[in-house]
Amino acid sequence: MPSTMEQCLSQTLAATFEELALTCADFNLSDTQRAAPVDVAMAVSFSGPLNGWLVLKATSHILPAIAENMLGSDIVDDPSVERDALGELANVICGNLLPLIGGAQAVFVLSAPQAFDNADQTSRYSPSARTCVGIESGRAVAQLLLSDDSRRALGLPVAEPIAALA
Amino acid sequence: MAFNVLVVDDSAVMRTMVVRTLKMSGIPLATVHEAANGEDGLRLLGEEWIDLVLLDVNMPVMNGEEMLQRMRASPATRDIRVIVVSTEGSETRLAALRQIGASIVHKPFAPTTLRNTILRVTGVSDAEYYGAVPVADAGGDF
Repeated sequence: MPSTMEQCLSQTLAATFEELALTCADFNLSDTQRAAPVDVAMAVSFSGPLNGWLVLKATSHILPAIAENMLGSDIVDDPSVERDALGELANVICGNLLPLIGGAQAVFVLSAPQAFDNADQTSRYSPSARTCVGIESGRAVAQLLLSDDSRRALGLPVAEPIAALA
Repeated sequence: MAFNVLVVDDSAVMRTMVVRTLKMSGIPLATVHEAANGEDGLRLLGEEWIDLVLLDVNMPVMNGEEMLQRMRASPATRDIRVIVVSTEGSETRLAALRQIGASIVHKPFAPTTLRNTILRVTGVSDAEYYGAVPVADAGGDF
């Protein structure tokens, strides 16, 4: 089992992309992947013993391939469906991550995935773990944001959050 | 026997993936109904003959746990077989769902995992008799 929150997030992100989107998640990004913008984002909020958000950003041009892998080629070619596919990936990442950091007995309630286009949505929460993987010719970035109370419960400092999401 | 299946999940993407897996699983299907939350699911159960419910947990309006409790409380629906298909990882909640007769398939799932769970839950043991087709290699996890 991974020992840190960032390792948990990395493991969950990679496994979800590989198992749900049938695509290889590479932690050693190429120059092309590193330079690709992360210009679309979906987020899932959660409440329970810990409160916060899981934000998943991705390079928009990798979404058609991801959606096609998830849904079949006869269904996609629709930007809203592609965003929904990214949202479902965020949902599965969040659902699998929370027991790893909150404990196997903890019960959480997850929101439906929603577009993340305004940082004000999460302004009360601190970035607490971040990871990035190369996907096809782009990349995906996952970030876990936690409330101050949640950070205290996990023994994390409250006043010194890590750098903001790229 | 062909099964009437109800897929309850607030994600249209996940419903599509589950239905796609059902169709490639070789399970004899009659009609596959879809609902976006527990309330819509219960309404459909009142209107249609359903043999099997594939049920998400975290949903708006009415979550899967409440829908399952209401199904078990009603004589008309208490014996319908239910497979919870969810990212739910809480042992507390999973134990509660098993207690009221649900089988569990964890997301993300391999098509073979869902197929095998359906075969076990429905008691269909001779899929070949029903014309099962090979399920995609384990590399095709959903």
